[in-house]
Amino acid sequence: MGECCPPMDLFRSEPMQLVQIIIPIESAHLTVSYLGDLGLLQFKDLNAEKSPFQRTYAAQIKRCAEMARKLRFFKDQMLKANLPSSKSKRQVDVNVDDLEVKLGEFEAELVEINSNSEKLQRSNNELIEYKLVLEKAGEFFHSAQSSAALQQRENESRHIGDESLDTPLLLEQEASTDPSKQVKLGFLTGLVPRGKSLAFERILFRATRGNVFLRQAVVENPVTDPVSGEKVEKNVFVVFYSGERAKNKILKICEAFGANRYSFPEDLGRQAQTINEVSGRISELKTTIDIGLLHQGSLLQTIGEHFENWNLLVRKEKSIYHHLNMLSLDVTKKCLVAEGWSPIFASKQIQDALQRAAFDSNSQVGAIFQVLHTQEAPPTYFRTNKFTSSFQEIVEAYGVAKYQEANPAVYTIVTFPFLFAVMFGDWGHGICLLLATLYLIGRERKLSSQKLGDIMEMAFGGRYVILLMAIFSIYTGLIYNEFFSVPFELFGSSAYACRDLSCRDATTAGLIKVRPTYPFGLDPVWHGSRSELPFLNSLKMKMSILLGVVQMNLGIMISFFNARFFRSGVNVWFQFIPQIIFLNSLFGYLSVLIVMKWWTGSKADLYHVMIYMFLSPTDELGENQLFSGQRTVQLVLLLLAFVSVPWMLFPKPFILKMQHQDRHQGQSYALLENTEESLQVNSNHDAHGHGEFEFSEVFVHQMIHTIEFVLGAVSNTASYLRLWALSLAHSELSSVFYDKVLMLAWGFNNVIILIVGIIVFVCATVGVLLLMETLSAFLHALRLHWVEFQNKFYEGDGYKFYPFSFALLDDEDE
Amino acid sequence: MGFLVTTLIFLVIGIIASLCTRICCNRGPSTNLFHLTLVITATICCWMMWAIVYLAQMKPLIVPILNEGE
Repeated sequence: MGECCPPMDLFRSEPMQLVQIIIPIESAHLTVSYLGDLGLLQFKDLNAEKSPFQRTYAAQIKRCAEMARKLRFFKDQMLKANLPSSKSKRQVDVNVDDLEVKLGEFEAELVEINSNSEKLQRSNNELIEYKLVLEKAGEFFHSAQSSAALQQRENESRHIGDESLDTPLLLEQEASTDPSKQVKLGFLTGLVPRGKSLAFERILFRATRGNVFLRQAVVENPVTDPVSGEKVEKNVFVVFYSGERAKNKILKICEAFGANRYSFPEDLGRQAQTINEVSGRISELKTTIDIGLLHQGSLLQTIGEHFENWNLLVRKEKSIYHHLNMLSLDVTKKCLVAEGWSPIFASKQIQDALQRAAFDSNSQVGAIFQVLHTQEAPPTYFRTNKFTSSFQEIVEAYGVAKYQEANPAVYTIVTFPFLFAVMFGDWGHGICLLLATLYLIGRERKLSSQKLGDIMEMAFGGRYVILLMAIFSIYTGLIYNEFFSVPFELFGSSAYACRDLSCRDATTAGLIKVRPTYPFGLDPVWHGSRSELPFLNSLKMKMSILLGVVQMNLGIMISFFNARFFRSGVNVWFQFIPQIIFLNSLFGYLSVLIVMKWWTGSKADLYHVMIYMFLSPTDELGENQLFSGQRTVQLVLLLLAFVSVPWMLFPKPFILKMQHQDRHQGQSYALLENTEESLQVNSNHDAHGHGEFEFSEVFVHQMIHTIEFVLGAVSNTASYLRLWALSLAHSELSSVFYDKVLMLAWGFNNVIILIVGIIVFVCATVGVLLLMETLSAFLHALRLHWVEFQNKFYEGDGYKFYPFSFALLDDEDE
Repeated sequence: MGFLVTTLIFLVIGIIASLCTRICCNRGPSTNLFHLTLVITATICCWMMWAIVYLAQMKPLIVPILNEGE
């Protein structure tokens, strides 16, 4: 393409250069920051042998990491407090050092508030528990006392009644409750988790050998445990014991069960007093906690206002230092030396950025920008826009293009959706797909800023691919004449009619063509006829082969452009020409036969022709002859195909060997002529260049390549038959859904059945045809491009250009 | 409408489309060439698809045989 026309966008990756920039150390930070704003330079790591800790700016990176940690802490706190980090548009200029101090202060304050509020919360919870204990145990004591009093009164009344006859014995006197003579029982009160209460009771009983009395009362609402801070269902317990030893045992058991104990005043008056006191303190604490929370909220609010800015700043700072670490320190320690790849068109912008940086940092000397010459393969960089990028990604998912090799994406943009549509031809489904993707494109701005689910993200990323897929499937749907599998007579009436007026033969001998061929797409009469499948199969199979042969030829043609571009005559004469001859003498010829058969309406059997072209090429063709002199043509083509195999195989390795020897001699001469400076550069940057030439390796490689091509020509052509299979499956499935669901439901003449039928039809159409079929057709189109098309010319062993850019920074971390 | 006439229509549509892209988004020679390639590829694809289906129906070896039910 070189001279005749301008270089095509996207066809070749951007020409790159290796540049060296020598930056005075005082302006290094600003320079790298400006280059990051520009985003067109990929730094090379010149300190690859150094560990991250040995590098110049390790300390600064650590500082940034610390700041990032604080920011993460704030973010956690904000999430806990349900405060969204508002995106403030105003860009405040903050110094990093100031920011560090500020962040430190904020963190300390926040930590203190947190620990204080935690303490307060804890004592609050304790008080609440205490209050519960007081209430429940008070109730218990009250009821026990009243029942005791009742008993006493009864006893007394009995005393009075029975005094005359049975004088009470001493024994009875003792048994009756007498407060003065009572054994002094101790008791403990507290709360135990309800789940553990049974075990608690059992252990207590065993440990004291039954010498305890335990009462439990259920607390209806779950209580916040002061220690863990979690909501737990608990029971209030009162345990009576006698003796110091029992007490100790009980205390230990309480501890083991996580039962919180609270002192309980025996005196009724004091009980009421304590309850009052506790309630007072609780309300006091409540206000304190509320004030604390308010304070914390306002603090987080202030942080939230600046959070995005700070976060961005810290991330920028970290990446700046990360890239500064890649630069090597000059021997004088006054300069930093940077090396990196940049597109040639960016030289001016980079130099501008360097000048601005030197000026803004009041540096006495500006940075020095120079282009280095190198043997190393530069990275691949395509300038894509939002439309082309998704197609470029489809290609790069297979492999990143070698530097400046022809980019299949240029053709993929059209052929990919087209081949998809050949398999997905139905203009009803196409319109559904179009509406869906138009929705995505219409809300592009809104959707691109928010986070989507995995599948949604993928659909959104490929929205322009889907758009073209939908448009092409509407087109192929019109060609196939299918609208949810229903044909329409959009382009005039059918070309076929009955043989006579009675139409008796229509179901036996078939119709007859009376008008000129249906002008656009398939004749609607085929739909539902008995000969539909044989006709469609033959048509779609032949179409697959024709499309396949054309696409493979396009692939080989691109390999020609590649050979021209890299000025490799060998590849033109000993790769491109035999390849194109081989493919076309077999499958190109087949395509010609197919078209010729259609054109002439001949009844020749193409299978027979193709098979006997190999088996007995000299035989007469008989009734399978399509044109005169066919036998001679076939012989010539067969000969050409046979010749082109060794043509592909043998000359190239030998010529490469000769070229290598020539170049080797040339290089040694060139070295002597070179000046010292470039010698030095060469010795510095001489990548593995042209190492040893292993003839056997090259030969084996060529042999594999040849075999792959020859066998591939057959198998790839066969592989295109998937177009036929998928398209057949699609049309059959959609006609099954239409006939067996929608039409069946319609036949019942019942509204409910019809509605159910419509629902099932819609679900099947959306689920199976629009989602699953789209996916499978997509994958098959993908395969046809990756394997059948790209293996003709695409090396795909390059590496991608990753410029240091702040704009890309956000996407990576989020 | 015969084969050649419709082919001519495709050709005209292709030329009009490439002129449209040229006029509507003229962004330098490289991009224009890129757009032209896209239009040409798309036109050829669409034409091929139509041509194949048209040719296959021109002199039919199989004729439609209606189903008994119809």
